[in-house]
This record gives sequence, structure tokens and C-alpha cells, in this order.
Amino acid sequence: MGKYSDSDEWVDVVPIPQDDGGPNPLAAIAYTEEYSEAMSYLRAAMAKNEKSDRALKLTEEIIRMNPAHYTVWLYRADMLFSLQKDLLEELEWLNTVALKHTKNFQIWHHRQVVMSHIPTLPPRETAFLALMFAKDAKNYHVWSYRQWLVRHFSLWDSELPYIESLLQIDVRNNSAWNHRWFVVFARHTDSKKHSIKNGDADSDVPLEIIEREVEYTKAAISTAPQNQSPWNYLRGVLRKKGIGLVELKGFAEQYADLEKEDEVRSSHALDFLADVYAAEEHKERSGKALELLARRYDPIRKNYWDYRRSLLALDQVSA
Amino acid sequence: MPASITHASLNKEKHVKYWLRCLKTYLPNAYTSNEAQRMSLAFFILSALDILGALHTKTTASERAGYANWILRCQHPDGGFRGFTGTMTGDENRNEWDAANLAATYFACASLAVLGDGMERVRRRECLEWVRRLQRANGSFGEGIGKEGVVEGAEDMRFCYVAAVTRWFLRRGEDMEKVEDIDVEGLVKWIEASVTYEGGIAQGPFHEAHAGYTYSGVGALMVLGKLPRRTSDSKDEGRMSAEFVESVTKWLVLRQTLMLHEEDELPMADEEPPDTTLESFPPTFHVQGAFPVSVADAILPNGLIEMSPHDLQWAGFNGRCNKVADTCYAFWVGGTLGMLNREHLQDFNAIRHYLLDKAQHMIGGFGKLPGDVPDILHSNLGLAALAIMHDPDLKSIDPTLCISLSAKENFEKSFPSQQARGNLHGSNTAKSMH
Ligand SMILES: [Zn+2]
Repeated sequence: MGKYSDSDEWVDVVPIPQDDGGPNPLAAIAYTEEYSEAMSYLRAAMAKNEKSDRALKLTEEIIRMNPAHYTVWLYRADMLFSLQKDLLEELEWLNTVALKHTKNFQIWHHRQVVMSHIPTLPPRETAFLALMFAKDAKNYHVWSYRQWLVRHFSLWDSELPYIESLLQIDVRNNSAWNHRWFVVFARHTDSKKHSIKNGDADSDVPLEIIEREVEYTKAAISTAPQNQSPWNYLRGVLRKKGIGLVELKGFAEQYADLEKEDEVRSSHALDFLADVYAAEEHKERSGKALELLARRYDPIRKNYWDYRRSLLALDQVSA
Repeated sequence: MPASITHASLNKEKHVKYWLRCLKTYLPNAYTSNEAQRMSLAFFILSALDILGALHTKTTASERAGYANWILRCQHPDGGFRGFTGTMTGDENRNEWDAANLAATYFACASLAVLGDGMERVRRRECLEWVRRLQRANGSFGEGIGKEGVVEGAEDMRFCYVAAVTRWFLRRGEDMEKVEDIDVEGLVKWIEASVTYEGGIAQGPFHEAHAGYTYSGVGALMVLGKLPRRTSDSKDEGRMSAEFVESVTKWLVLRQTLMLHEEDELPMADEEPPDTTLESFPPTFHVQGAFPVSVADAILPNGLIEMSPHDLQWAGFNGRCNKVADTCYAFWVGGTLGMLNREHLQDFNAIRHYLLDKAQHMIGGFGKLPGDVPDILHSNLGLAALAIMHDPDLKSIDPTLCISLSAKENFEKSFPSQQARGNLHGSNTAKSMH
């Protein structure tokens, strides 16, 4: 008795039950009867390498119960292409699955496989991604997929305004900051080559772009100084062009003035200045910034800031 | 200091009970969506019991032989392991969709090492050759071979880790070390390209730095012997630079956070999902004054970022910048620091109290977030995180392999490597780094 054993559509098929071997299987799961039965028919269909509408529907049922079943996705993709199914319809169906299982990554890989067979960007695609981000603006799989989509359809021009709209909603959205980095710096790199190093100095980036990024990031910091994301971004941008942090000493000192210990507004500014002072060979000042971090403004990382302070070898200097 | 708070301790008995239940009874139906990754669940169960010192006392030799048999049942005739038995249709009736999976292969090898049984029945040559076929021209790995030999799966740092560790398990002894190797240099280059401007490692080049991928990338470099030996090392011999170790260390320690609940995540002032359809994109490129001042910053007068000693008692780890803490990252971060011999740079007490007071569950195991019911992944990684911090009630573990040191030593005794070792677990790497 079951959905498939009772159906005329599957009457010609002998289901293959799961064989878990001996008496001590590991991580055996109490499946529902519905899932066990569907899987037995899936095995039978795969054994014949059946490519049919009913098998396609079966994969849909199984994915609904177990979206992380990597084999069933591969089998489904193969059927979609051999049966020359409407791929836009597949995307619509994928939308519903993705909205239901937001943490699953197979869905997004499959979407990428399907999308790579579609010649032009479907009109609803970006709106759907926006919907996903409205649910979770930091969904890693969706961001990874979006990077692929931007490269694949060369969507570079519309990305920056979009990212800025997301950062306006939440300036702490680190995924959006990272995507900004991708849009600004990956555009002219060849993903097939190894020369796509993410953080290393790259003299090819025009200075205007660097200046634009620095100004944008400074503006973001000024609205939320205790926000790690733009401070990390700022360091990355400067390093990209081989510009020393010293150039932004005055900017950082607005948020952390060593002469006004009680008025520090950003631990990240203190950290930035610790590096600036060390680069200027002002080891005592650098040590003081690190000490403020360890004792007062970021004590959860005391062990780390003390370690950093030990690298300055201050004791040897004063000895 | 506030009035002293009694902190919870590790309830070892409850944890053992939790894991024996996972081992010996059916897992609840909710695990159906983990079916294809049963081999990883198997590993987490066996390894947790081993770390608790209960695997060899609470199971019989014949049970353990049965577990090894189940793992080997998942071995694919052409090399590698499946993640579960669900695609098998019988030896005489094999189907082309019944394929080995790279992550499952790593978990199978690690489980056999933990059991101390069955490794000699692994088709090591076939497996190593299969792993090599999974590598792409850009150095990354897929997770399986599909039709017509196509490498299937995303470009994903985790596959690099499992490939490198599988190689470490199997490429031992004269015969195996002659099997054609993977492109180690290409792999290292791909990992290097995935180091982000933040200092952590991402799923792949240009993606966001993430603690799970950072663990994977550093772990792969570790077993391949590609981390620098000394602080003074520049980029020679195809190794990563000492500068990389410093920047990844900083990124890792920055993951420790006092944000333990979603509502701590700032500053989502807007409850309504934003309308972000294409039409609503701002027409111009804003620079100055583009950001609304967040609630969090508006209420932060000077000095308010200081924390009282009471607040500092519990601090977990997040997986990415500006995210809340989650139990598993205590291991992904702590374990990576452990590989670099820098686990002491965490705030031990704060993470310990987070794990034991907030994430430990009264039925045993650990939940993902404070108050969550336990699950297999977080319960294992919570224990592993405590073991990294040298918890006296737990066996010491190797942070790179995520198995107990005793399991690792037994394995190495049975399967000695020809080449001079010393690459694994930083025997000479990071001890001299500070
Ligand atoms: Zn987690």
C-alpha cells in the first residue's frame, strides 16, 4: 500500500528496497513510509536509467522531502536536458524549493547548471534573488550564485547601485561589502586563470576607483564607526594599490585619539592606528593602542592584543 | 566583579548517553534531509564517542566490526565511498547514478581510523586515482564523477580539504606513494586565490571569508605541508607566507563575539522586508551621506563599546563578520587556531562558558544556538572545540583531522608513510611562530 504501489502509472515497475547490509548500520534514519517507498521506486528508475515524465516527477517528490540528495539532483538535471524540458519552468519550480529550504546549497548549484543552458538572463531572475535577500540578506549560497550570474551574463553595471541599496538598509551586511569587492575588483580578471588573487596588490586598478572606494568606505564608517566590515574593506582597498595605512591616520584618529582615552569610538580605529604607529616606528604609541584594546575596548581579545604587543618588542627597546 | 556565577561543567555521562542513542537507535525522521550525508553523521557519532573515551568501552568488538562493515559496504568498486546505501541497486544490477562522493570518502577513512578497523580493505589505489580525476584544471576539486567522466559539484573549499586529507590517509607506503599524485601546486594556488581581503578564506575566489571554509583551506595546507615553518619565511618552496598566518590569525580571533542571539544582530531597524526589485534601485551612485545612522550607533555614546566583566563571561564564535555566534564555529575557528598552535589566543573561559552554560543541552549534546535542541553536527563540534582547549575530561584531538590523537597515532603505526613526516600538526610549524 502506497502512493506508487497503488498507482497505475508505476504498475510496470518493481521497486528496489534499500539494503543497509548487516545488523550494525551507522546513522540509520527512521524514514517515513512515503520517503522509503519513493526511494525504492527511484532506485528502480535509476537502475533502468529511465528518462521520463514520471521519473522527473518522482525526483521532485524526493527533493521535496530531502533537498540535499545530491544524486537525485544529477539524475534530474540529466533528464531535464535529454527530455528537452522547459528550463524556465524548472526555474519557477526551483524558486519554490529555494524559498522553502533556504540553507540548502544543492538547489543553487542545480540552478547554476540549468541557467548555464539558458542563453539570456531571464527577466525575473534578479527580482527572485532580491526576494531571497529580503528573507536573509547574508545567505551565502545565494551570494555565491549571484557572483556566478554576474560573470556569466556580464551584469557588472547594475551591481554597484544594487549593493549600495543593500548597504543603506544594513551597513553591517558583510556579504554585501564582500560583493562590492567582487564587483569592483573581479570585473577585469579572468576566472580561468590563477591570477585572480583576492587580496594582493594589483597595480592595474585605476587610482580613481581606489579613491572612490576609499571615500565610500569612509562615509560608511562615519555613520557606524564600530562596524568591522568597512574597516576591513578599507584596509583591503589600500593594500590593493600598495597604499600605506598612514595615509588615513587623520581619519582614524577622529575615532580613537590616544590623548583622549575615554572617548574612543571604535575599537577598529584603535587597531588601525596600532598598525599606523608601528609603521611609523612609534612603537610606544602602537603599544598603547594595543593596550587600550586589551584592557578596555576589546578585552574579549586580550590574549591576541597582548600577543600583538609582544611583537613590538617594547621591553627590549626600553631596556 | 559581579557576584560569582556558578558555571556548568561538562556533563560527560549525558553526552555519552546522547551519542549511544545516536549510534544504536534509529535517528529521528528529521534527519531524512541528511540521508545522503549519512557517512558524515556516522563519523561524528563514532568520533564523539572516541573523544569521550567511550567508543571502546560502550561497544563490543563485534559491533565495531559491524560498523566497519557498513562503511565498507558503501565503498564503490571503482574507488571512493558513497555517502549512504540509498543509491545501491545490487552488485549485478549497478546503475550509473550510484557514484562515490568525495566528502563521504574522507568521512569513511576518518571513521575507519577512529574504529581502528577496516582500513586495509579500502581500495586505496583506485581511491587515489579517483581523487586525482576529481581535480579541475584550476586546482579545485569536484565532489564526484558524473556522466562521461565530467567532474560534478560546485567549486568549494570543503572539497579541497577532503581531497587533501583523503590523500593523507591513503597515500602511504611504497606502492601508494607511486600512484600518480594530484596537482598539489595547483591546489595551493587555488586556496591562495580564495584568501579574501579580510584575511579569512572563502568558498572560492572572491566569495566571502567564512570560518568553515577557512578551516578547510588551512587544513588542506596543513596536511599538504604548505604552511610556513618560521615567522621569517617568505613565500618559498610553494608554501604560504608568514604574513598569511598573521592575517588569518587575526581574522580568526575577530570571530569571537558577544552577539549570541539574532536580536543582538544589529541594526535591522526595518522589520518589513525591503522592496528590492529592479525598479526600485537608486538611479545614481551615492557616495557621501548614503547611510542612515543605525540605532546601534546612535545610542553608542563615547566609551559605550566597553563591556562589563559580567558581559564578558560568555562569548561564542561567529562564522563571518557581523554574524551571531553558533556552536559549530567554536570548532571551525578554534580548530584552525589549533592547527597553527595558536588556540591560546582565544578567550578560553568565555568560549568554554558559552559552550557549557548556553549551548550544552540537558539531555546531552550541544545545540546550534543557546537553547536549541542538540543535533549531531553541533554536538560533535562542541565537544571537539572543548578538546582543542585541552579539556581534562576529553581525549586530545588532532585539530586538522578532527580525530583523537590516539586514533591518529594508531593509524600511523599501522600505515606508516615513506616520506619524512612532520607536516601534520605543526610539529615544527607554528611552535616557533611566536
Ligand atoms: Zn553551526
